[in-house]
Amino acid sequence: MDKYNDVSPFVIIKSDVTRRSFIYTDRALGALDKSKHQYQQRVLIGSNRDKNAAVPVSLLLRDGTSIIGMPSKTAKNPYVVDQIDGKLVLTDQGEIVEEVHYWYKPDYYDKFTSSGTPMWQVASSRPQRLDIDPNSHCHFWNKGNGCKFCNINANSTQSEKECNMSKQLTAQDVYETVKEALKQPGAFTNLKMSSGSILSGAEIFDDEVDMYIEMLQAAGDNFKDKKFPSTIVASAFSEKQLAKLYENTGLMTYTSDIEIPNEALFAWICKGKHEEVGYAEWKRRIIRAVDIFGAGNVSSGIVGGCEMAQPHGFTNEDDALKAVLEEAEDFASQGVSVVHCVWVPMHGSAFHNQQNPSLEYYVRLAKGLSDLRKKYLLNVDMDNYRKCGNHPDTDLDRGNLD
Amino acid sequence: MKLMSILNERIQTLLQDSVAAKVLATADKQGIPHIVSDPTITVNDEGQIIYLELIETSRSNVNLVNSIWFKRKVAIHLSKGEESYQIKGYPAYSVICGPVFEHYYKLSLERNPEFDLSTVWIIEPDEIMDDTYAARKNKERDVHPLITHLDRLAK
Repeated sequence: MDKYNDVSPFVIIKSDVTRRSFIYTDRALGALDKSKHQYQQRVLIGSNRDKNAAVPVSLLLRDGTSIIGMPSKTAKNPYVVDQIDGKLVLTDQGEIVEEVHYWYKPDYYDKFTSSGTPMWQVASSRPQRLDIDPNSHCHFWNKGNGCKFCNINANSTQSEKECNMSKQLTAQDVYETVKEALKQPGAFTNLKMSSGSILSGAEIFDDEVDMYIEMLQAAGDNFKDKKFPSTIVASAFSEKQLAKLYENTGLMTYTSDIEIPNEALFAWICKGKHEEVGYAEWKRRIIRAVDIFGAGNVSSGIVGGCEMAQPHGFTNEDDALKAVLEEAEDFASQGVSVVHCVWVPMHGSAFHNQQNPSLEYYVRLAKGLSDLRKKYLLNVDMDNYRKCGNHPDTDLDRGNLD
Repeated sequence: MKLMSILNERIQTLLQDSVAAKVLATADKQGIPHIVSDPTITVNDEGQIIYLELIETSRSNVNLVNSIWFKRKVAIHLSKGEESYQIKGYPAYSVICGPVFEHYYKLSLERNPEFDLSTVWIIEPDEIMDDTYAARKNKERDVHPLITHLDRLAK
């Protein structure tokens, strides 16, 4: 931390906890109050719940920074969440690192839609964002070409089996859940939708676009104005598809993840995306979205550190970082924010045995991406610390004045 | 019942007085100061100071973010009539969600339906000064007896 004393220590802690993972002591788990805290959540990637115990879905630091993640029982050097002197704390090798809090449960969570669906299975809640993932199945996996870092289909299949959680949502359930969520003053600042890629349709992704239109219209029926703070994290749509989405919904911002900002590695790690669309076209489509949504209202996520996956990834952190930041600058110079998450080689993904890079790599990556937004005057309101909460680089942006 | 705090009962009462003048001073990364006057600054049951930030992108909010990140103090000036205090402390929590946030969100709405609360800042007081002229001058006379004008000492 001393070497990077101009970087928020909370962001450094977040990156390291995500990178190394964490576990809970029994005392810490005893502090979970099922009536107040979230312990089950619909997520696309990762894990929806622990089937054996009520485990907090994520953590919040004192400054409002989130740490998104479920504990890992197989982590080699995890942080430990403990309760000491009445406070929940992160500890490392027995030393207290920082105070943490569990995410609170929104009022709608324990309610049901008119069809009997638990509302927590329709919309999950990041600290200040409503997350609705209408389709938890990715078609790229149908041919075995899903992204190697991702466990979306493994997770959704397991959740369907263990707690009868449907992979697809209905528009009526979405409408009713958003309506209920909006009754809680001050709880949300953004609505986000995401889905596994749907390749079908006259043009690739046409059916995915139609699905988003139906779901966004259902959610949008709850708002006074046509447009409302919202985003989707979706496949790379054509200009025609993006225009149709923008014109027919309340959508204000758009994300399509380039995942691995390097063509050769993208072809290896995101084989399906590369074969069906191609790196250059995927990138071109993201950049063209700026024409519709405006500079700063389009972002692209990368799985930070996955560019070092072996055997084809970079073997030197300096080389990897240089390549990533150069490509990110190309996006930023054309109005697209590149945001990163910390790559966690998770169970159910093809890369579950891999090793992620050093903490220093992640600190440099977060700072580098945040600095690019400063250089190109891009704000990241669409995906800031209190919305997604999964990007160390966008957490840093709140320390800068526009 | 209030818990132990370095703020005595009188100062806590003043902080809860909506007529008292309250000013928050912060500094940016370069040390450039910034102040806001806000009569809604108050104190919670733990004797911590509460500042409600209504503008997410304001200079005060950004300065407070940097203060909590890098452990920099902020200052609060508090005065009413002849009384005047300066309190220095550290931003300890930036509350952006949950029951505490929602409590103050509703309170802000009651004050003005246009208010859209961004952050509840909880400031841990660390240092208190009696900021009246008499108190400051007496302190100086004790420590620096040579600093004065001679005419004041003449027969």
